[in-house]
Amino acid sequence: MNRAIGGGLFSLGYALLFFLFLFGPLIIMVITAFNSSAFPRIVPWECFTTDWFGVLFANQRLMTGLWASLWIGFAVVALSVPLGLAGALALSDLGPKARAALYGTLITPILIPGVVIGISTIVFWGAVARGVGAGYDSPFFNGIFLTLLGQVSFIASYTMLIFISRLQRFDPLLTEAALDLGATPGQAFRRILLPFMKPAIGSAAFIAFLASFENYNTTVFTILSGNTFTTALASKVRLGTDPSLSALAVIIIALTLIGAMVREAHARRGERLRRSGPSGLYASPLTRTLVHPATIFVALAGFAAFLAWQGSRHDASVCRANILREKQEMQERLLREQQERMHRLQQQAPAAAAPQAPGNNPSPFGGAFNPNTLAPPASTIPAPAAPPPASANPSPFGGAFAPGSLAPKQ
Amino acid sequence: MSALRRIFAGMASRHGLGVAFFVAGAVLVWIFVLIVLPQVAMLDFSLRHNLPRSEIGGPRDVYTLDNYRYFLFGSGSGLNTLDMGVLVKTFAAAAFVTLIDIVICYPIAFILAHSATGVGARLMIVGLIVPFWINDILRAFAFRVLFGATGVVNGIGQALGLWDTPVDFIRADVALYSALAYTYVLMMVFSIYGAVETLDRNQIEAARDMGASWWRVHWRVVLPVAKPGIASGATMVFMLTAGALAAPQILGGPSNLWFTQLIYQWFNDAGDWQRGAAYSTILLIACLIFVFLTMRVFRVSIGAIGK
Amino acid sequence: MTKDVVLDHVSIRFGSYTAVDNAHLSIQGGEFFSFLGPSGCGKTTLLRCISGFVQPTEGRVLIGGQDMKNVGPNKRPTALIFQNLALFPLLSVAENIAFPLEVRGVGRKDRRKRADELLEMIALPGTGDKKVHELSGGQRQRVAIARALAADPDILLLDEPLSALDLKLRQHMRTELRAIQQRVGLTFIYITHDQGEALTMSDRVAVMNAGVIEQVGDPKTIYNRPRTPFVASFVGETNSIPGQVVAQFGTTVTLQTPLGTLSGQSGGGRDHRPGAACLLFIRPEQLFTSGSAPGANSFLADCEAEEFEGSVQTLHLKAAGLPLRLCRMNAGGLTAAAPGPGALTIGYDPQAAIVLPQGADADAAA
Repeated sequence: MNRAIGGGLFSLGYALLFFLFLFGPLIIMVITAFNSSAFPRIVPWECFTTDWFGVLFANQRLMTGLWASLWIGFAVVALSVPLGLAGALALSDLGPKARAALYGTLITPILIPGVVIGISTIVFWGAVARGVGAGYDSPFFNGIFLTLLGQVSFIASYTMLIFISRLQRFDPLLTEAALDLGATPGQAFRRILLPFMKPAIGSAAFIAFLASFENYNTTVFTILSGNTFTTALASKVRLGTDPSLSALAVIIIALTLIGAMVREAHARRGERLRRSGPSGLYASPLTRTLVHPATIFVALAGFAAFLAWQGSRHDASVCRANILREKQEMQERLLREQQERMHRLQQQAPAAAAPQAPGNNPSPFGGAFNPNTLAPPASTIPAPAAPPPASANPSPFGGAFAPGSLAPKQ
Repeated sequence: MSALRRIFAGMASRHGLGVAFFVAGAVLVWIFVLIVLPQVAMLDFSLRHNLPRSEIGGPRDVYTLDNYRYFLFGSGSGLNTLDMGVLVKTFAAAAFVTLIDIVICYPIAFILAHSATGVGARLMIVGLIVPFWINDILRAFAFRVLFGATGVVNGIGQALGLWDTPVDFIRADVALYSALAYTYVLMMVFSIYGAVETLDRNQIEAARDMGASWWRVHWRVVLPVAKPGIASGATMVFMLTAGALAAPQILGGPSNLWFTQLIYQWFNDAGDWQRGAAYSTILLIACLIFVFLTMRVFRVSIGAIGK
Repeated sequence: MTKDVVLDHVSIRFGSYTAVDNAHLSIQGGEFFSFLGPSGCGKTTLLRCISGFVQPTEGRVLIGGQDMKNVGPNKRPTALIFQNLALFPLLSVAENIAFPLEVRGVGRKDRRKRADELLEMIALPGTGDKKVHELSGGQRQRVAIARALAADPDILLLDEPLSALDLKLRQHMRTELRAIQQRVGLTFIYITHDQGEALTMSDRVAVMNAGVIEQVGDPKTIYNRPRTPFVASFVGETNSIPGQVVAQFGTTVTLQTPLGTLSGQSGGGRDHRPGAACLLFIRPEQLFTSGSAPGANSFLADCEAEEFEGSVQTLHLKAAGLPLRLCRMNAGGLTAAAPGPGALTIGYDPQAAIVLPQGADADAAA
């Protein structure tokens, strides 16, 4: 990296900062998944716990949403991959002018805001339903059906982009050669072009599934009263948070990392075998098996399963009980101090100034919410184990997240 | 028509009749059923009154510009500065986020294309992609954890004594803008990378050799090459940011609406789909105007988008 | 079975651009026939027309007496070897060779057997299970030929198949291709811009320029008796000397040139009117230095430089401002030392020199 313009140190430093920005939020989120604190945070650390995973899996709404998402995702793959392939094939056969026009048309769904696609989809199919006189129990009012159509309209554009870039590397002479050697056009397509497109079909299917699974902007409209995993997740985040979401992030990140490593192993293997034939690590059968993507996948998956099993046996209840006791003691002590102070105040002149804040505030919130307040002490310290009340202010987020809250700035 | 028939015949002679029928059918269904007709239906819908279902198709079901009038003038007589303000603010904020992305992504794209080699470059690419396999919602959630009143940023700031009381980053929209910029980093990096990568290393070295300072090399040699990449990346980031819904819902301050949230409210809270359709037509038209203007100004064709 | 190919007044136009203009010739069964011309002369278009990828705008293509109109490339008895070979990268060598059999529904075992036979024939036994990219350039070349032969064609079409190979291999493959052609006895139609390839391998050569076939003939005739200025200057090295016709007796034409009065044979048997502007073409190896003073059909020239290539020596001459080249063989102990600067007497054999009208085109020659 030291040949960069502007100095290698600058490049290195900038790259490090950049990736800190990319990974920082994720790392922090992952850590919060293992803190027993009811709010996702790192400091103060309470207990190491794996309970949030249990909370996550117990969330019925998320789990039913997950099934809907999987089902929609596979259907989107099944539709958007052929559509994208058709679009790419059509483009490859056109003259420059017609090609630009068709490309512009097929690429617009990517540029149209997802919200607009969602709305136009439900409005259009509602109109179709009225046209054919279908009732509310028809597919035109089925959230999954509408979500499928809405998502396919733009995810097919993504798959098309993948197919286009693959097709650009296809030598059309290969098709001509096949025809010349006596193949019918259909045979040439099946035997020559389609196998060439196979890796692109794989990655297009993968991208399509991911895009479908993660989509929110379109789905939140088209799913109507139902829920997908992502919309359920969003409403959960909007209505208040707990670290079970961090636990979800841990699972997704783990899956991502395993996927990335297996992919990398696969890419490397292909590249090495193509370039120099079997050599180095790929020479002996033993090491070749060791670096095979499948081996790596099995090893990583096994490791993850082992960690999960270990984690599921971890019991944080003792620690939690300790924390609870500590907090109770602290609360009692605070209460006592307060009472003493009140007592002293009552003994002093009634016109005395406002009471002093406790000098050394032991609140786990660092005194953020009760500096010099006159509020009764009990309300400044939330009950340790209670979830954050959505209405009251002692949330660490200052209530700014309560949807629709127009509370004045603190 | 004859041109279409010729294209079809060419396709059939190259790939076979079955493939030709499949391609023609799929592309037509995609264009008309999935792209054009829904937009037309939305436009039609936005020009109608919000009527109970029984009255649809009845004598009161006539075309009207009411929904658009509402966007301009509200229900009263004066201008609807509130809603128009939200649109302007959304676009301004999207432009701001786009600008941030250009600034932070350009160096990385350049380093990736011309400084990093071998393992370093591979790691960087994996490192760029991995964070984007994580759900949008979870990403926004991570920024809530990061920027909350007891979040890491406040914790560090207070520990270092930079500020005493927790700063409300949410209300100041810092969290929202950071999250949006974060979300579309990948798109911007790869757009610029695609353009910068085509630059011949020798050109940079020649310019250096002739005594140009490094910022001059970038200004005169690299930036002109990067321009189409920046333009197409900026278009996509801008459109996605202006059309974002999840991040503003999760990270937006209470008094601070995104235009998509207005649309969402008309649909889901007010139940006035017609007005929602009108507002989303407005968003669509505003976005398309923006795209065409950008392409005009930067002389980029639509073919460059998505490369 | 070999079949003849007839191009019956074939013209191919793309919009207003004419790629092939009125090609009219017949190629006999079992012949090794080359189309020779610079890139962009229309020879590849003509080949694609014979193989069925391009339809003639006018005229007909007949193969074995049958009109090929509306017969797709996969139905014609031709097999094309592409310039880049177009081997299928995802298939193994044997699968590539057996592809024509596979699409004709031949069973797996028979396919493999035939592929092995063909690999044997091209001297690559045992490579059937390799991938194409594991082979060298020359090996790929032979696999492409084997694949085309597996289709059992009557006519093999080759589109500059040797251009990607290095010089040594190219020369080796020339001999090899000619040997294969004689072994299998098929009609070979070969496209090239390399006159060496065309002359060494072919029974007959058609020289093309700008869509027009300028001359068809066996290699010796093409080289020794060009009928147009283009053929004379494109095939082999030549010196051209402008002049005006003084008189013509039989086939011998006398010209008034800047170098004096020179004569040569009228190319294509044309009759020239006195005073017509013509070009006299003399091959460098037809020129010789002479000890005597200039007489008939000889002139004075300065030697400007000398190139020694081992077997051949080239002199760069200048006569009356015209640059000329003279080649002579190194016949042991080399003929005299290199002539220094100063006037040399240069002679030639008027029987080997060709007179062609300036601006003569193929129509005039036909």
